Amino acid sequence: MVANEVAKNWILLNNEIMIKHDDEFSLHKDKEAVRAYFLEYVNKNTVFFYTLKEKIDYLIEQNYYINFYEWFTYEEMETVYNFVFAKKFRFASFMAAFKFFQSYALRDDSGEKFLERYEDRVVAVALFLARQEGVEKAIAYAELFINQEYQPATPTFLNAGKKRSGELVSCFLDEIGDNLNGIGYAVDSAMKLSSIGGGVSFNISKIRARGEAIKGVEGRAGGVLPIMKIMEDTFSYANQLGQRPGAGAVYLNIFHADIEEFLDCKKINVDEKVRIKSLSIGIIIPDKFMELAEKDEACYLIYPHTVMLEYGIPLDEMDMDKMYEELITNPNIKKKKINARHMLVKVAQTQKESGYPYIFYKENTNRAHALNGIGKVKFSNLCTEIMQVSEVSEINIYGEEDQIKYGISCNLGSLNIATVMDNKRVKESVKLAMRALTMVSDVTDIKMVPSIAKANKELHSVGLGAMNLHGYLAKSFIMYESEEALDFANAFFMMMNFYSLEASMEIARDRQRTFVGFEKSAYADGSYFNTYTERDYLPKTDKVKELFEGVHIPTIEDWEKLKAEVQEHGIYHAYRLAIAPNQSTSYIMNATASVMPIVDIIEVREYGDSTTYYPMPYLTNDNYFYFKSAYDMDQFKVLKLVSVIQRHIDQGVSTILHTNSKDNTRDLSRYYIYAHKLGLKSLYYTRTRKSSIEDCVSCSA
Amino acid sequence: MSKQYTAVNWNTPDNDYALMFWEQNIRQFWIDTEYIPSKDIDSWKGLSWEMKECYKKALGGLTLLDTLQSHTGMPKIIDHTESLQNKAVLSYMCMMEAIHAKSYSTIFTTVSTTNEINDIFGWVEQNKFLQFKASTIDSYYRILDKKNPTNEELFMTLAASVLLESFLFYSGFFLPLWLCGQGQMVASADIIKKIIADESIHGVFVGLMAQEVFKKIKNQEEVKQKFITLLNELYDNEMKYTEEIYTEVGLTAEVKEYVRYNGNKALMNLGFDPIFEVKQVNPIVLNGLNTETTQHDFFSKKSTNYEKSMEIVHLKDDDFKMDATVNV
Repeated sequence: MVANEVAKNWILLNNEIMIKHDDEFSLHKDKEAVRAYFLEYVNKNTVFFYTLKEKIDYLIEQNYYINFYEWFTYEEMETVYNFVFAKKFRFASFMAAFKFFQSYALRDDSGEKFLERYEDRVVAVALFLARQEGVEKAIAYAELFINQEYQPATPTFLNAGKKRSGELVSCFLDEIGDNLNGIGYAVDSAMKLSSIGGGVSFNISKIRARGEAIKGVEGRAGGVLPIMKIMEDTFSYANQLGQRPGAGAVYLNIFHADIEEFLDCKKINVDEKVRIKSLSIGIIIPDKFMELAEKDEACYLIYPHTVMLEYGIPLDEMDMDKMYEELITNPNIKKKKINARHMLVKVAQTQKESGYPYIFYKENTNRAHALNGIGKVKFSNLCTEIMQVSEVSEINIYGEEDQIKYGISCNLGSLNIATVMDNKRVKESVKLAMRALTMVSDVTDIKMVPSIAKANKELHSVGLGAMNLHGYLAKSFIMYESEEALDFANAFFMMMNFYSLEASMEIARDRQRTFVGFEKSAYADGSYFNTYTERDYLPKTDKVKELFEGVHIPTIEDWEKLKAEVQEHGIYHAYRLAIAPNQSTSYIMNATASVMPIVDIIEVREYGDSTTYYPMPYLTNDNYFYFKSAYDMDQFKVLKLVSVIQRHIDQGVSTILHTNSKDNTRDLSRYYIYAHKLGLKSLYYTRTRKSSIEDCVSCSA
Repeated sequence: MSKQYTAVNWNTPDNDYALMFWEQNIRQFWIDTEYIPSKDIDSWKGLSWEMKECYKKALGGLTLLDTLQSHTGMPKIIDHTESLQNKAVLSYMCMMEAIHAKSYSTIFTTVSTTNEINDIFGWVEQNKFLQFKASTIDSYYRILDKKNPTNEELFMTLAASVLLESFLFYSGFFLPLWLCGQGQMVASADIIKKIIADESIHGVFVGLMAQEVFKKIKNQEEVKQKFITLLNELYDNEMKYTEEIYTEVGLTAEVKEYVRYNGNKALMNLGFDPIFEVKQVNPIVLNGLNTETTQHDFFSKKSTNYEKSMEIVHLKDDDFKMDATVNV
C-alpha cells in the first residue's frame, strides 16, 4: 500500500554515517550503503541480457541508442566493452553511485528499470565521440573516462549516444536589445533554450531604466524588473519535460539607473510584484566604479536610453574609464547620484541575505581577453566561468532581415586533477579532452536560436575545467591555503593552458581551419604568449617538484615553439578553458568540486529531490587535518589561489566566497575589493554558514 | 500614586541573553511566500492517498498549535514578564508564530483543493487528542488571566509553553522531515525547517525564563512533580495521537521514539534531566533537524541558510589599501 514510501535501507545507512562513535563518524556505513543500494535496488531493477550482442541490438532496435553499427562492427564495439569492464570499476561512495543511477543511467521507457551501468554509459559516450575516428579512438576516450581522468559535463555525459536525447551542450548566453523585438527574441530564446535543459544568461544592461521615455514620452518605461519577472516565469514554464527546472540569470551594469531596484529584488521582505525568487542575478562592475569607491567620490547612475539617444552607443558598450567624465558633465544625460561605497555595502547586504548577486569585473576580464580585436566580453553566465565576446542582434519586424550577431554557447568538461596527476597523464588527458569537447561542438547546432548557432559555428568555443583540487592537495598532505598550493596551481594550470592550446593548434592544422577572426586575436600577433616567454612557471617548492616527478613541464622554449606553431597554423577554438563549479559530476568522480575548498568533512547535500551525506574523497584518519572547511579558511588566501589559477585560464573561474553569520557587510566588501585588485574576473555565490542555536546559548553563558 | 510607565531601554541590558535572542530572531526572519511549494505538486501527486491524509493531518495539527501559541500563549506570557526587553523578544516571537500558522496554509493551498483544506480544518476541530493538547496547554495559559499569579503558576505556564514549542510540535514535524530526506515534498520542507529553527530558539528562550522563575520557588520538588505529571499526561495523549495519524503509513513506532527524544529536549530546556529512554531516532529525521548549514543546488532549490543581515558596517579608506601581490 505504501511500501514504496517506507524508508529505504541504503538511505538509512547513508544517514547513519553521521552517528558518532568515540568522536569519529561511522564512515564505514557509507560502503554498506553502496552495497545495500546495489543489492537491494540497482541489481533488482536492471534489465538482464544474456549476451552483449543481445544488449546492443536491443538498445538500438528499441530506439534507446543511435545505430552504432553505422560506424562500428560488433567486434569493434565488443573490444571497447571488454576493455572497460576489465577495469573493474567500483563507486567510491554512496553519493557517487546514487547520483549516477538517479540522474545519468539510461532507464527503460517506463522509467522503472535500468538499462545501463556506469561502464555502459562510458562506452556509449566513447563510441559516440569517436564515431568518425574509429575504434582506437573509442578505446582512448573510454580509458580516459573509466580512469576518471576527465568527465564531460552533465548534458554530454547524460545524452551522448542516446537516440532520443536532449542537447549535448546546455550553457547559453545572449544580449537583450532595448526594444520589443529584441525583448521578444530574448523571451523566445529563453523558452526554447530552457526547454532543452539549458541554463541561460542574459545581459539586460541595454534595457532603458524605469521612468525613461518611450517614443519620446517621458516616464513610460517600466525598467528592468518587469523583464526579469517575465524571464523568471518563462524559465519555470519551459522545464525540459518537467525533468529539471529551468534556470536563468540576468546581468546588469552597476551604472544602470535601475541597479538599486535590481538588487532589492532578492530581499526577503519585498512586494510580490518586484520579488524575484528563482532567477539568478549578477552585476557587471567596471573599473571606474571601483575607482570611485576607492577615492570615495560621487558616483552617478546613468539612464541608458538617454545615452543611446545622445551617442548612438549603448551605455554598457562604452569604456567607462574614458566616457564617465563626459557622461556626467553632459546635461542631456539623465543621472542620479549615489555613494559608491554604500553601493558596495548594499551588494554585500544582498549577498548576505540571498547569496546573490554574482559579480563580473569587466575590465579585469577584458585586460586578459585575447579576442579584443573582435569585441569585448560584456557579461558572464549562470556559473560565472564563461567569458566570451557577445553582441546584441538586431531583430526586425516580419519581412525585414534580422542582423544576427554573436550569442554565446559553451560546452564544458572537467579534468580530475588527482587522477591525471597520479597517472602522470596531464598532457594526454588535456589533449584528448580537447578532442572530445571539439566533437561536441561539431555536432551541436542550436538552430532554434540563430545567434547562438552562429557563435558555435564560427568560434567553436569550449570550456575545459578541473575538479578535485582540494582532494588532491589533501591527499598529498598540502594545505589548501599554503604556498605549496599556489606553487602547484601555478604549474598545473599553466600545463592545462599549454596543452589545450597545442591541441587547438593541432586541430586547426589538421582541419585547415581556425575560428573566425583568429587573425585579429592576441594569439595571431603573439602578444598572448608574452607572459609565458618572459618567465617560466616551473614549480619552486620541493614538495611540488616531487609531485611532478617524471612529468615534463613546458619550459620557456616549449612556449616559444608553441607560439610559432600557433602563429603558423592558427587555433581552432576561440575559447578553451573555463573552471566550472561542477557539482553532480564531481560526485560521480568521487572528487571535491571544482577548484574550491571543501565545505565539510562530510558534506550534506540537498537537491530538489534528495538529501545525501558525502564523506570527502580520500579522507582517512591520517589526512583529516588537511580537509579544512572553506568556512574556516581565510578567504583572502582562497582568492589568492584563484588568482594564480586565473592567470592561465582564458575564460573564468567560478569562485565561491564562504562566509559565516558573524561576517559583516564590510568583511564581504573587502573581499570584493581584494578580488578586484588581484585581477579576478568574477565572483560566484556567497555561501553563509549559520550560527547554530547551541553556539548562541554557549556564548551567552 | 499613579502607575509609572517605563520605556524599553536597550542601552542597559536587562539580562545577558535578551539582546542575543532578539538578534538571532531577527536574523532568522522569513515569510512563507519566499518559498516555492508549488515545486512539490508533482511529488504530492505521487504520494499514496494514506500518505497525503497523514501529511495533511500533521500540518493541520501544527496549525492549531501555532495558532494557540500566537493568539494566547505568547500574549499571556508577555503580560506577566517583567523585563521589557524580554517582552520585546516575546512579542517578536509571537508575530513569527502567526507567520508559522499561516505558512502551513501556504503549503495546503498550493497542493490541496479548497474542499480538502476545509475537511482538514474540520478534522482539527473534531479530533479529541488534538483538542486535548490544545485545551490542556490553554488551561495553563488561562491561569495568567488573573492579575498576580504566584511564581508556581507562572512557572507552570512557561513550562507548558516550552512543552508546546519543544515537545508537542514534533509528532507533526516528523513526516515532512522524513519525506524530505527521501526527496519528497522538499520545497515544503524548506518552510518546515524554517519553522523548526524558530521553534527551537523559542523553546530555549522561554525555557531560560522558566528556569529563572523556578529558582524563586520554595517548594521546587513539589512543583517539579506537578510538571512531570503534566508532561506524562501530554505524553500519553501524544502516543495516542501518533497512533491515530501514523499507523496507516507504518511509521508509528519511529514517530513515538522521536516524540520521546524531543520530550527529553524540552526537559533540558527547563534545566531538568531527561526521563524518557531513547534508543535510536530515525537518522533521516534527526539529520533533517540539524539546522546548521547544508549545501544546496541553487538552481533546483531555495536555501534555508540565508538570514537577514543585521550589521551594516561601512567602508573606510584603509579598506582599499590592500596588498595584492602574489609571489609565485
